[in-house]
Amino acid sequence: MSFITTYCHITDRNCYLNGKLVASFDPGSSDSWLKQLYKFNNVTYPKFYKMDTLSQCGYLASEFIKASNPDRFTSYADDRIAMVFANRCSSAESDIRFQNSYEVLQTPSPAMFVYTLPNIVIGEIAIANKWYGENMFAVLPKFAPDFFINYAEILFSSGSEAVLAGWLDVTEVKVNAFVILLEKNTGGIKSNIVNLTELIEEAFT
Amino acid sequence: MIYIGAEEMISPLGNDAKATFSAVSEGLSGISLVHKAGLNQTDIHLATIPGLTVSRAFENLIVAILKLVANNVDPDTVASDRTLVIISSTKGGLKDSIADPFADVADTILQEFNLAHQPLIISNACISGVLAINTAGNFVRSGHYDHVIVIGCDVISDFVIYGFQSLFAVSDKPCAPFDSGRAGVTLGEACSAVVISNNPQIYRDRPYSLLIGTSANDANHISGPSRTGEGLYRSVSRTMAQNGISPADIDFISAHGTGTLYNDEMESIAFDRLGLVDVPLNSLKGYFGHTLGAAGVLETAVSIQSMRNGLLLKSMGYIEKGTSVALNVIEESKNTQIRTVLKTASGFGGGNASLLIQDL
Repeated sequence: MSFITTYCHITDRNCYLNGKLVASFDPGSSDSWLKQLYKFNNVTYPKFYKMDTLSQCGYLASEFIKASNPDRFTSYADDRIAMVFANRCSSAESDIRFQNSYEVLQTPSPAMFVYTLPNIVIGEIAIANKWYGENMFAVLPKFAPDFFINYAEILFSSGSEAVLAGWLDVTEVKVNAFVILLEKNTGGIKSNIVNLTELIEEAFT
Repeated sequence: MIYIGAEEMISPLGNDAKATFSAVSEGLSGISLVHKAGLNQTDIHLATIPGLTVSRAFENLIVAILKLVANNVDPDTVASDRTLVIISSTKGGLKDSIADPFADVADTILQEFNLAHQPLIISNACISGVLAINTAGNFVRSGHYDHVIVIGCDVISDFVIYGFQSLFAVSDKPCAPFDSGRAGVTLGEACSAVVISNNPQIYRDRPYSLLIGTSANDANHISGPSRTGEGLYRSVSRTMAQNGISPADIDFISAHGTGTLYNDEMESIAFDRLGLVDVPLNSLKGYFGHTLGAAGVLETAVSIQSMRNGLLLKSMGYIEKGTSVALNVIEESKNTQIRTVLKTASGFGGGNASLLIQDL
């Protein structure tokens, strides 16, 4: 049996961990909202500044989940932690920026091009943690609890022991990231479609 | 047992599997020099499909391949409520809608083919196709679906050409995977499909067995392969272990082989660590270019055709050893029985994936 042991929700203005507010946007700060969250988390990882917003957002959610229980991942072998993320528009924000670099600025930017794939966020989190597990990025019209629950069950049955999964809907003007950690035999919220749907409805309304 | 078959392909070399495989068997390549298609109006080698529509090329290819596949299986399969369609692609309909590149295709095929379920889109860089086939196998094995149609498709765009050129990753001649003179990728476009099922009766031609594989991240660099081949090594070793397959069981490897210095070197190191350097191996990129999200499906489909026709295809563009570890790169196409095939893929974001196909 598997459980949803931690969940993190980042919106345009707030960051919640397990349903509790942990940080809010400070309009007086000169930093962007995601940069504010990076500083709030107090983990130094300079690569953060190179990432596009999709990767920054996924990275931050993974760090908040780690911070909620620092020993959480130490018991798993480095290839037993899988990652499954999804959103509606793939890497559209970085795609538009890269298109602008060659159409308007006349010089295609390789630094922007490397972020024009949605699964780069998975690579960034894997690199930050030295995780060698299973990966998938899917594009879905909306958050589909059944996809995450069904696919996590498949990953558990083929050797994964923890699954970091979630929805990363990120554009320049909108942030909506909902990331969950699924683990086996730990206790917590039972991992099923009904419970995940409830968490999502609570978070997204 | 999980079955795979009904393979189809629309490629620069033909408008279906039969025409494409016949061209490949004759040693033809789909790569040509295209005038002024590169950055700053430079000429560039590409593998393009002749006659693609200017708008909605991606969508039209997906519709066309579904029609082809429908002829290769029981006609009720496509619209069955026990069937899922998975689309593997990196950029989808980017040329039509950069802000929402996958919405139109999903709606179109849902309506046109009366699909029972929302198609699942997997966009995981160059491993998308192999990952999609493994996901299909897993969904069938777990009983969520009886049949999954996996479609891989990507079309060439200025976006992708300029991007690879900005990385200085494009070859100035047709790509030459694993060769000492290799100088980068040649980009290609294709649409290909396979059908995964728990029922061998749905196939018009006999299916093969899919031994579902695994994926593993390199945890190394978002746009450069690991120097030790760690992710590929882990993916293939787990795929072999989970299926009880040893190196001696594998007759042929359909490698990723992009033709870049670092990728092909990484693969040779991983295959050495896996004890697979003596297994006959090819990269199909010399025929089709790098078709990105289509590559894993296309190359699996061509490898199934190789099994059907008992023909090991030469690795187009290869002349002499170009990796620090010698591999058994196929230099001349030859007739032989192929019982077990290993297919691998590696890509940006550190992804690596593998699967096995076996004669029943």
